[in-house]
Amino acid sequence: MSRLAQIATVFFRSWSARRHGRDSLPITINRRRIYILPTRFGLTLAVTLFGMLLAALNYNSNLGLALVFLLASAALVAMHHCHRNLLGLSVDVNPEADTFAGAEARFDFTLSNESAVDRCDIEIRCAAGTQLASNVAPGTQQWVTLAMPVTRRGVIRLKQFELRSRYPFGWFRAWTYVQAELTAFVAPEPRGLRMPPCIVAGDGVALPESRGDEDFAGLRAYEPGIPLKHMAWKVLARGGEAVVRSYSSQSAQPEWLEWSSLDGMEKEARLSQMCRWVINTEAAHRRYGLRLPGIKIAPARGPAHCCACLRVLAQFESGTDR
Amino acid sequence: MNFERQLWISGCLALALIPHLGALPFWVLVTIGASGGIRLLLAARGRDAPPRVLRLLLSALAIGLLFLHYRTFNGLAAGTALLSLVAGLKLLETQTRRDLFVTALIIYFLSLAALLATDSFWLLGYTMGVCWLTTATLLRSTRATVAPDWHQSLRYAARILAQALPLALVLWLLFPRFSAPLWPISNDGHRAGSGLSDAMSPGDISELALSDEVAFRVHFISTVPPPRERYWRGPVLSEFDGHTWRASDQALGGAPVLLTQGPAYRYTIGLEPHRHNWIYALDWPTRWDLPGGILTADYLLIQPGPVSHPINILLTSYGQSHAAGPLSQMLRRRDTELPLGRNPRTQRLSMELRRSHRDDLDYVRSVLDMFRQQAFFYTLSPPKLADNSVDEFLFDTKRGFCGHYASAFAALMRAAGIPARVVTGYQGGTFNRFADYWILRQSDAHAWDEIWIESQGWLRIDPTASIAPERVEHDLGDTVGADETLVSRWQHRTAWFADTRLRFDALEQLWRDRVLNFNQGSQEKLLGLLLIRAPDTQKLVLVLSACLSLVLCWLTWVVRRELKPRTRDELSRAFERLCTKLAAAGMPRSGHEGAEAYAARIAALRPDLAGAVTALCRHYTALRYGARNPRITVEKFNAAVRAWKAR
Repeated sequence: MSRLAQIATVFFRSWSARRHGRDSLPITINRRRIYILPTRFGLTLAVTLFGMLLAALNYNSNLGLALVFLLASAALVAMHHCHRNLLGLSVDVNPEADTFAGAEARFDFTLSNESAVDRCDIEIRCAAGTQLASNVAPGTQQWVTLAMPVTRRGVIRLKQFELRSRYPFGWFRAWTYVQAELTAFVAPEPRGLRMPPCIVAGDGVALPESRGDEDFAGLRAYEPGIPLKHMAWKVLARGGEAVVRSYSSQSAQPEWLEWSSLDGMEKEARLSQMCRWVINTEAAHRRYGLRLPGIKIAPARGPAHCCACLRVLAQFESGTDR
Repeated sequence: MNFERQLWISGCLALALIPHLGALPFWVLVTIGASGGIRLLLAARGRDAPPRVLRLLLSALAIGLLFLHYRTFNGLAAGTALLSLVAGLKLLETQTRRDLFVTALIIYFLSLAALLATDSFWLLGYTMGVCWLTTATLLRSTRATVAPDWHQSLRYAARILAQALPLALVLWLLFPRFSAPLWPISNDGHRAGSGLSDAMSPGDISELALSDEVAFRVHFISTVPPPRERYWRGPVLSEFDGHTWRASDQALGGAPVLLTQGPAYRYTIGLEPHRHNWIYALDWPTRWDLPGGILTADYLLIQPGPVSHPINILLTSYGQSHAAGPLSQMLRRRDTELPLGRNPRTQRLSMELRRSHRDDLDYVRSVLDMFRQQAFFYTLSPPKLADNSVDEFLFDTKRGFCGHYASAFAALMRAAGIPARVVTGYQGGTFNRFADYWILRQSDAHAWDEIWIESQGWLRIDPTASIAPERVEHDLGDTVGADETLVSRWQHRTAWFADTRLRFDALEQLWRDRVLNFNQGSQEKLLGLLLIRAPDTQKLVLVLSACLSLVLCWLTWVVRRELKPRTRDELSRAFERLCTKLAAAGMPRSGHEGAEAYAARIAALRPDLAGAVTALCRHYTALRYGARNPRITVEKFNAAVRAWKAR
């Protein structure tokens, strides 16, 4: 693409962003947001057709004119078909993706075609790359994953993405911008061999695994991931709900994953180490909290908590907002 | 995939080249065939195109050869050859999608070039078919991923072309036509068939007599002239070298005024293209709607350029005429001149006859009597004649056809000092009773004479008509000036064949009239049908834009309509109609709501509607899910929904 075309594209993108405002997902593409222009091949076709028209007019050939007009009309029809290829298509995507540095941020796009025609060759493009959906048959959905390799910790924000299609003949290019922010939280690569501070402190009372079963504190609802040995089978057998026994020691003594316990290490290495702790502790079904300079996350457990912790690690003094 | 693509585009190109086979030089065809074949072989083995340098060299060589062949790249023949060659060489390097696009564009252009050189209905269909295949190939090759099966691509391309048809029709009907070409067309003589020329040697017309080609068709708006007046005037030949008659180049100049008599015949003549610039008109033409058309001193209607495409002309002619003034000295000298020392026996015969017949008309009669009484035969295969053709014909062979008789008669007249000339043209014709017009074929070509008689002017004499009928040799089934042609003879035997032929010709005439000759005048008539007064180009463009907008609206609607999922059965539509009515009353059905739940909610909201809505919804449920024998049919339910109103 030439420099001029690039500048034009940037202008056009920001203009369309102002025009449409923020979009909420999922979005159904309406005709007001589909743009269409001839491609280079389309322009060549136009020039050829014009030459053919002149020749037919000059030779005063009605048959020649019939052919020229048929082809020109077919091009116009193709334009409508190209436009239609995007019209009424629904798109959804996870607006936030979590990943680790060195891996890929994955955005899973869902293209739903509720119409009665095939949607062919739809490209999904954003700053992270391009992915193609070859054919979304009528009344079906297609999942397209746009995997963006990330190397550095931080937060990547993509302001918009684009759906583009040159179907059927490549004479026209229809496209639409969706103003939905895609955010990739890139947590630091989990790395480091140090033990969490509670173990390092070494008060000798108990290892984390043996501690949880001490004082019975009551029943609470079962959630996936809780060891089955805590299940209150008797309650279940009586026809009650699935509940588990919880123990006071679990809530009473959370682990604190401390920034300050890693003194003397370089920042990124510290974060990597803390990331490793978060993952390990979560895998061990223990409650944990996070303490960084100026940030404190109360102890809890579960995927949402883990994700929140990782995002804190991703954002911490990252300064890489793209 | 690559091989398949290659195969299809090569196939399309081959199909597009078929109409050009006759016009292209043989070596060009061989080059195209070879490069396509080589590339296909390479592609089949999964190999790349030959190296770039080789391809460039080959292209330069071929195009250079082509230039040497034609000496120009301008004009239809050379342009077509160049395009074909470029497409063929492009095949050799077809690699990327872009190369394929270029080949497709060339195929479109070649299809057009085929149409420029023809008038055939079949070829139009054929080229459209080729374009359809090419478009389908294009559709497949632009697919980013694996393409669907062929019949699906073909169907989709056909659908696009079908949707394009109304738009194309509007454009074709209303797009302004130019009355004159934008740039001069070099006439390749591609389309011109056989026909009369501006010279006549003994033997020329007999070749035509065997040709069945149509020369022109005539539709009489007024009465049809009697057979003895149906002489269609072509080139007038007044220069004689003893063997060949030629048109004189002194004939250019205004036509001397004629006093016309008798009924006026108004008719349109639909002329097929021929190599020359004259228009065949009934004797004697007085008015014509032909841009740039003029009448020469010999009353031949000519136009500035050759008749390169079929034209329709409206003409008026009078059967009889009188010269208003005396013959100019120049014309008299020209039309009494005989080559010195040629045909001496003819000169002697003329002197003898003249001695006993002082009056011009007497003399004419005596010559015609000679043809009638002596053993002159009419035949299409006369013996060959040498330099003194008239002498040999009159005294030795005595066998000939119209050309021989006209030539001999004119020579005899001139020898006696009577201005005379040979007129070639067509005579008679076949009436097509299926469409009310006359067909003049090449086999109707004829030659006769005109002599100048003081106080009367030019008089038409047809010496061939004087041959006694029993001396006409019918072995070749030839004419004696009348309507009897080779074909018509056969037609007598097989009436159904003749009828079929005429019906086909009537169709051809319709095609010619409505399609090939569609022009500015036809467009103005079309606007007249739309009740537009004083149609001109500006109004035409306005109507075109209006119609285009309408058709584009239609197109948008059609294309969008295909998006909508196929409407479900009648029952669903009826229920949807009920829901729409209720929604209009302010109570739309939510997505999760079944029919009965919906009815219950409405009953709570609007007790006045409760009865009807509950009943309808119950019927719907029964029809949709339930009872084996519902108490109501779908039609009745539909009618009930239609009748119901939410007041």
